[in-house]
Parts: sequence; C-alpha cells; structure tokens
Amino acid sequence: MMHVLIVDDQALNRILLSKMLELEGYKISMAYNGLEALKVLEKEPIDIVLLDVLMPVMDGFETAQKIKKYFSEVYLPIIFITSLDDQASFERCLEVGGDDFIRKPFEKVILYAKIKAHSRTRELSKKANEQKKLLEYHHNQTEREHEIIEHIFNNSLENQGKFKEHLDFNLSPASMFNGDMFLVAQSPIGNLYCMLGDFTGHGLAAAIGALPASRVFYTMVQKGMAVNDIASEINILLYNLLPGHMFCAATIVELSASGKSISAWLGGLPDAYLIDREGNVKQTLESQHMALGILDEHEFEYEVIHFETNQEMRLALATDGIIETSNKDDVFFGEERFLQILKSKTMISCENIVDNLNQFADGSEQQDDVSIVLLNCLPLAPEEKAREAFSTLAFNLSLSLNAKQIKQTDPVYDVVNILSSVGGLNAHRSNIFLLLSEAYNNALDHGVLGLDSNIKQQDDGFFKYYEMREKALASLADAMIIIDMRYCPDTLSLYFIICDSGRGFNSKPDESSSSNNEFGRGVSLLEEIAEKVTYNASGNQVEMCYKLS
Amino acid sequence: MSLTKNESVDGTTLTIQIKGKFDFNLVQSFRQAYAQISKSTVKVVIDLRETEYMDSSALGMLLNMKKTIESQVSTIEISNCQPQLRKILQISRFDKKFDIS
Repeated sequence: MMHVLIVDDQALNRILLSKMLELEGYKISMAYNGLEALKVLEKEPIDIVLLDVLMPVMDGFETAQKIKKYFSEVYLPIIFITSLDDQASFERCLEVGGDDFIRKPFEKVILYAKIKAHSRTRELSKKANEQKKLLEYHHNQTEREHEIIEHIFNNSLENQGKFKEHLDFNLSPASMFNGDMFLVAQSPIGNLYCMLGDFTGHGLAAAIGALPASRVFYTMVQKGMAVNDIASEINILLYNLLPGHMFCAATIVELSASGKSISAWLGGLPDAYLIDREGNVKQTLESQHMALGILDEHEFEYEVIHFETNQEMRLALATDGIIETSNKDDVFFGEERFLQILKSKTMISCENIVDNLNQFADGSEQQDDVSIVLLNCLPLAPEEKAREAFSTLAFNLSLSLNAKQIKQTDPVYDVVNILSSVGGLNAHRSNIFLLLSEAYNNALDHGVLGLDSNIKQQDDGFFKYYEMREKALASLADAMIIIDMRYCPDTLSLYFIICDSGRGFNSKPDESSSSNNEFGRGVSLLEEIAEKVTYNASGNQVEMCYKLS
Repeated sequence: MSLTKNESVDGTTLTIQIKGKFDFNLVQSFRQAYAQISKSTVKVVIDLRETEYMDSSALGMLLNMKKTIESQVSTIEISNCQPQLRKILQISRFDKKFDIS
C-alpha cells in the first residue's frame, strides 16, 4: 500500500485530500509545515509527498530541496499543491526538485492519475535500488572470494620461484585467473619435475582444476613417481571431477638429477622443442596422447618419451596461447615465428619471447592464457632434508619361526616395517632389509633347506635354484629360525642374531665369489653394509652389528 | 611388490619398473619382462624409483638379464636409485657393468 504524506498548513486542504485518497486505499500521514514533514519522513516510510508551497515555519520550496537532498536513494516524488499559476512559480517548483503539480481546487481524476503515475515510478525506483544493493553485495562478495582464491592459488604454486638456474618461465593469464598451470617440484633423489597444463577455456572456471591437480602432482613427485604414473593419477582425478567438456592439455617432464636425461609424457599441448643455447631445434617432441581428463582409467595411455640431454640443452614448452596469438589482421603468430624467435638470440629468455609476441600482437586483445617455459638441462642436487631424531628407547625384539611360519610369512619384510616405525630408523630401512634378507635367506636356503649355491652356476641354474627352493620349502616339516634384534640408542647400533636349526653352511665362499657369478655376493654385501659380521663355528648362527651414525 | 614394463612411444626404450621389494619373488616376472624384447629396442631401463628394498638375489637377476640381452641392446641403464640402493650397487661394482643414473 502506497503511503502518502500531505503537507499543508490549512486543515481544510489536508482533510479534503486525505478523504479523497483514503477512498482510493492509500495510507495517509499529515504535516502542518515543512519542518513537521521532515520529521514524519524520518520515521515513516513515505512513498509520495503532496506539498503545499506557502506555509509558515518552513515553506514548500525549502522543504522540497531538503527532501530531495536527504532522501535521494530511492525516487521520492514531490507533488506541489498550488494555487499559484504564474510561470515563475512553476519554474521555482521544478528547480527545487518538484516532480509535479496539483491545482486547487482538487480534481479527483487528475489527482488519482498523478498519484498513480508517480507510484509506479516510485515502485520501479525501489526495485532498481534493491537490485543495485544486491548487485553491490554480490560484487563485494565476488571480490572477496577472488582475493581468497587468489591467495589459495598463490600458495598452491609453492615452488615456482625455486630452481632459478634451471627454469625460466612466463605466465600471462588472459584474465585474473590462469587456466594455464605451471607446477614445479623436486623428488627426494633430486630429479626435477615440471608440469605445464592448459585447461579448457580461461578464467576462474578453467583455473579451478589446478588446485586438486597440483596436490596430486606434489604428492607424487614427493614419492618420486614416474611421469606417466603422475599423468595417470591426474587424469583420473580430472576425469571424475571436471564436467565432460572440460579437460587439461598437459606436458609432464622429469629431468634426472644428473641433468643428463629427460622423460616426458605429452598430452595435447603444442610441440615442445629440445634446443641448444643458440635456439637450434635438436628434437621436436610432438604430443602423443589425448589431454588429461578425457579418457577413463582403462583407456589411459602410459607411453612416455625418453631422451638424453646435456648442459648445453634446453627444453622449450608452451601452451597454445602463444602460437594462436593473432595480430590486427587476424594472422596467427604460429609455430614458424616461435621457432624463429627461439633462434634470434643466444640463451633467449622468456621475457624476450613475450616482448616479441607483444610486438607482433600490436595491441590486439589477448584472447587466451599464454605460458612459456624454458628448462635448462643442468644437474641438480637433492634437497637437504632434516633427519628424523633417533629414538632414545632401547629395546629387544625376538622372533622364533617354525616350519609353518617359515612357509607362510615374510618375516624380513614385516620386521623391517616394524623397525622403520622407530624414530630415526626409517632412513636406514633399505640397509636393514638387505642385512636381514641376506642373513635370513642364507639361514633358510643353506641352513634349513640345505640348498647348494653351486647350482646357480649351471646354465639356467639361477632359475633352477629357485625352483628347487620352492619345492624344498613346500616339503619342509620341521625347522626353526630365530631372529633376535637389539637397538642401542647410546651407541646408535642395531644388533641382529639369526640362528637356524640346520647343519650350518660355509660362510666363506671360495674363489668363485667374484662379482661375475650369480651368487656369493650376499655375504660380501653383508660385510660392507654391516659394521661387523661374525659366524659361529658350526655356521648356523650369524651375528651382525649395524651402525646408524 | 610388483613389476611393470613400458615401451617408449618410439619403441626404442623398454622400461621395467619395480615397486617395493626387488628380490627372488620376482624371478619369474622379471625374466618374462625382458624375454621377448622387440627388435627396435636399443635401450633397457630398470627404473628403481619406487624400489625400497633389494638384496643379492636382485643383483643376480640383473646380471642374468645382462647376459641374456646385452647382445641385443646397446644400453642397459639402472635409473632413479635411492641413495642406499645406489650404494649397494656400487659396493657390488655394478657401476662398472651398468649405466647407473
């Protein structure tokens, strides 16, 4: 219901107008002068003001000016009630912000028509104002969200700034968020991994897939996985996550810590180039596979490319943004120009390339994200890692295995897993495995099963040996192997005693233990890895000390 | 513990990757992995990136492989060894027989 304020110092006019409007269903408030009117407007949600011109205290002209000034947010129509009919007065009314006039004496039809017309305008203005507020709210909300997302994106691209000697890159997103993704990480053994990806489209919708993909990438590099395994994992992730029309063209590269070899999985990006310092192309690496996120788990293609590199070599990667950059005549930049630019300068930088690209585009609006990466094939050292502190708790661990357990369990693997969980020992688990595996298998093969290593010397003897072992193990009825372990944190040592129920074996292989033979290496390995190895006289017990420091 | 093999796109490189434990349990599958090597293969890579453990039986298997295929390929590479495994290979003088990277 529209709410009309009638401002008139004459009671007759007020009553007349209010009666007429009440009949039409309007809600009415009244004021005797301008000052009163402003007070009412403060308190009541007035939609239309009927304003007399000549009033004591504050006249209509001044009142109109104030109303328009204080209530400017939504259109608040002011209709002057006037008996004045000179031109100058009309003009004055309009000047101070009046929207219309009603003459005294009042004519019903005209009054209703005018009120209705202004009501409609007021309604529209109200709606527009609500929408404007909503728009402002959403705008602020979006800005805030963008800030948060930008923050998250920046954090998810944690390593980009490292490896300055190895990597030169330039990422120019077409909008605030980059649909291109460039990830860098180093594996524990020192290999350097890069992933350049290009999601369908650009902007936030395209960029969003970069977050989960980057997590998978970093996790798998930390485990030192192969590029095709990383590609496969990200493929499944994106296949399940992205809508059907979205995918990510990508190249994943692994440079060995020696800097001498590269393996690459290439899915859907433009050709990559192996170039020398002068920019001459030594090898063109064409995309081999479909982009990530298209094929399901079973269709995924694992094939990678391997090639050798050296310190003079560089790998140039780019998304299609560069070759598809067009100038004012709609001519594409193209591969030829890209190759020319690579050759235009010794050790060209990404900045040089982008300068060239911008010159070519000559002010044409950037249509897509542009990303260029130059990887210098230099050796790199593994990242130094803080060593886990050694546990200070001394302990003994003892296992006695009977024939059934010998057949059915993998005690070495299980024991290594148990020991690996002790503070500081995990870093030594490969050596601990080797010691236990050699000693246990000697005890089992030669002590308990009585196998002869010389079998391995025959043609195909190696395989025969393990066949015989399997048979002997299957028919084993009565046997015992005891494994005793002791951890001494004071001396940082591990002691192992492995004892078997067999008749003992010759722990000192004869001259045949040269490294060309398929056996005998185990015993000498033990002696190299362990601090001390001693056998008892009968050869059915070995004692080893391993230093953790 | 498992073994996977992969041929490179151009068919010149065969990669055998061993996950977890490299020991005599893999005797059969390891031999099978290089049994039918294709004519185009010039390089075999034993990728130990995911190998946590190995013992002397693995060394024996590697030597066996070398004997079988060294006349057919030009390079046999053992790659991505973790430091402790690399040391085992060095102690056994495998760096003289294989390309270790």
